[in-house]
Amino acid sequence: MIRFDNVHYSTNKINIINGVSFELKKGDFTALIGANGAGKSTLARLCNGLLKPSSGAVNVGGFDTALVRTSRIAKFTGFLFQNPDRQICKNRVCDEIRFSLECVMEDRAEIEMRCERTLEEFSLDGERDPFSMSRGERQRLVLASILATEPELLLLDEPTTGLDYRECMHIMECISGINRKGATVLMVSHDMEIVQDFAREVMVLNDGELLAHGSTKDILRDGPLLASASLLPPQITELAVRLGAGYENVVTVDDMVSAVKKKREGAE
Amino acid sequence: MIRISGLSFKYEGGREEALKNIDITVRRGDFLGVIGSSGAGKTTLLHAINGIIPHHFHGDYYGSVKVNGSDTVDNKPEQLAGTVGSVRQDFESQMVSSVVEDEILFGLENFSVPRGEIEKRLTDALDKTGIRNLRERNIATLSGGQKQKVAISAIIALMPDVLVLDEPTGELDPQSSRQIFRLLRDLNEKHGITIIVVEQKIMLLCEFARSLAVMDRGKIILEGPVADVLKSSRQMESAGVNCPRVVTLADRLKDENLYMGPVPVNIPEAEKMVRSITL
Amino acid sequence: MGGFLDYSPGDSFLHRLNPLAKIFLSLMLCVSCFATGSPIFCLMIILLNLGMASVAGISSRALAMLRTLIKFCAFLFFIQVFFIREGTILLSLPFNVYVTDKGFMFSLMMALRLIGATLPLALMLSITKMNDLSNVLVGRVGIPYKYAFSLTTAIRFIPVFTAEMAGIMEAQTARGVAFDTKNIFKKIGLIFPLCVPLLITSVRKIEGAAISAELRGFNCRKRESGYKSYPFRTADIGVSIFALILAAGAFFSF
Repeated sequence: MIRFDNVHYSTNKINIINGVSFELKKGDFTALIGANGAGKSTLARLCNGLLKPSSGAVNVGGFDTALVRTSRIAKFTGFLFQNPDRQICKNRVCDEIRFSLECVMEDRAEIEMRCERTLEEFSLDGERDPFSMSRGERQRLVLASILATEPELLLLDEPTTGLDYRECMHIMECISGINRKGATVLMVSHDMEIVQDFAREVMVLNDGELLAHGSTKDILRDGPLLASASLLPPQITELAVRLGAGYENVVTVDDMVSAVKKKREGAE
Repeated sequence: MIRISGLSFKYEGGREEALKNIDITVRRGDFLGVIGSSGAGKTTLLHAINGIIPHHFHGDYYGSVKVNGSDTVDNKPEQLAGTVGSVRQDFESQMVSSVVEDEILFGLENFSVPRGEIEKRLTDALDKTGIRNLRERNIATLSGGQKQKVAISAIIALMPDVLVLDEPTGELDPQSSRQIFRLLRDLNEKHGITIIVVEQKIMLLCEFARSLAVMDRGKIILEGPVADVLKSSRQMESAGVNCPRVVTLADRLKDENLYMGPVPVNIPEAEKMVRSITL
Repeated sequence: MGGFLDYSPGDSFLHRLNPLAKIFLSLMLCVSCFATGSPIFCLMIILLNLGMASVAGISSRALAMLRTLIKFCAFLFFIQVFFIREGTILLSLPFNVYVTDKGFMFSLMMALRLIGATLPLALMLSITKMNDLSNVLVGRVGIPYKYAFSLTTAIRFIPVFTAEMAGIMEAQTARGVAFDTKNIFKKIGLIFPLCVPLLITSVRKIEGAAISAELRGFNCRKRESGYKSYPFRTADIGVSIFALILAAGAFFSF
């Protein structure tokens, strides 16, 4: 779905991305983690053509991003930004969803049908004014309007910033849902707990270089790797690492409870 | 220090009350964290403490907020600013100058601090926040964490007794967020400033704050020392607030009758807890 | 684009001038450009600007600004030059379009004036701190603090809004809004996805800024509040006289 071949990106004589190569397959759910300034947001934007590589090739869904207009790539990709207010431009929820659909398709009947379906799926009141909604609800609206276009690739740049826990979970459940239906997801995030709970694979970026690309469990347990990228592991994982033997496969709280029970039975 | 009694407030044109019968006392030297889902009334509460409500935002106001004995209704925000300093989430639009030094001067000039004192207050504020080396820097070239420190420094220069912060780490990455909280702890422990901070990052609050207040739909549903509040994790969850994973773990272990001890708030305590069970 | 109005720190002769002298100098340079009838004079003023920029250490910024201005003015030049029909024909093009000497001179002067007038103001803002600017306007010129503050706030918000605008364009491009469409009606319709989010965030930011300022004592400020004093020294007087002579010279130059 996405392939980076030795991609470099620099601006104002500063190298932001240095020789990054990787491949994401259809249906993957990959998190991109790294310290501030590592180049995560830049990499995400290289994935849908918002930024074009200075050298190397970015291939998305079969298209070389340097040769194709961004609006063409937008037809099958969706990008959820940190701040929903940069995208909302209509004063009714249904108009906002309709506008998103109009940007990528022309069949009016199809647009109306999808609009209705999306309003239902996301339990949104079509007549509400987006700006009377809370930030979490607005973020959900933007996500809904993106998912209405049924993108094959979903890119997310810190989608849960500023959201409270409940709103955060709502958004992540929706994203998980579309991933289960077959969409590829690449999510930039600072929140290690969310990465652990939802992503199946993780890429670690530091100073524009890809340090690692592997399964969530393996990467998050690698203390030295995370430390070299100025990151901290999620709480349960760090606890498991500290406890040592018997806790190698612990990822969630449930896993930890089972492991503790087993240890106790073993000790008795 | 700050005593809130029976505070209820409905914004002009609002559908329902944003704050419902709030009662809370914050003592001098406290480090209080306030958490709640969006719309719970956290920002409204802060505005009631620094006087923005009722002087800037109008509405139906009942009850009282007394800061050091004087009622906020009788004092304009600028009069309260000497006691209550406020730092907001959006530090970018708060900045009024090109250079760090001028940013801190702004408040000092406004309040007509005697000329002889200004330099001392300036350097003190910079020292307390650890940014003396940034004094001549152009604000636009600073990182998010540094800018927030400048914002805090500018308020500290006014020597408030209480520092009230509204999601100060909202736009910051985890490392900068920790730096800000370490700064808040220093200001609280070394300089005796009372801290009230609204945050979504429960783990930071549990680690740095001493008391916690959980808000839900305009009411404070839980309040007290951090460890006590965390005992009611089920209630927190129903209010849409998450707990640190180690707390959830302790709850589950309690459910399985494996653990009866105190709730761990950080990883070392959790490690102790697990080892005590498996020995 | 917003970056070019940011304060660029430095210790040059120009940095150390009294803000009032700097304002006066920029104003006189602007006035000279409009007062003069000679393109050579305008060109000299532009060169003077660049010279001052290099003294202040901001020549790369000045050249970047110049490049943008030249592009913009070239565009205006070409629109204007074909509309003036009087005078002797210099160049004849098909479709009864021609360039006359009067047209050429007029358009050239217009372009040079625009460049010559914009540069000094932008450069002046780059070497003057906002605080100094507003303090001197309040303390020396007697403008009420509220107005001086509004002016510096407006200037300060330009890069904030430009960044917002860039973010908005990015968000809309990512959803498929084609900003490079050839259809004129579609282009006009594109205003909404840009302006609505910008307006909403702007209002929010401004209210936030107002509340912050209030909490930092904005309403208490008096005329004498400014901490720094801005003495008018010999250098400042010298520069002001120079500026006056320049402006006078402009009036008499053809």
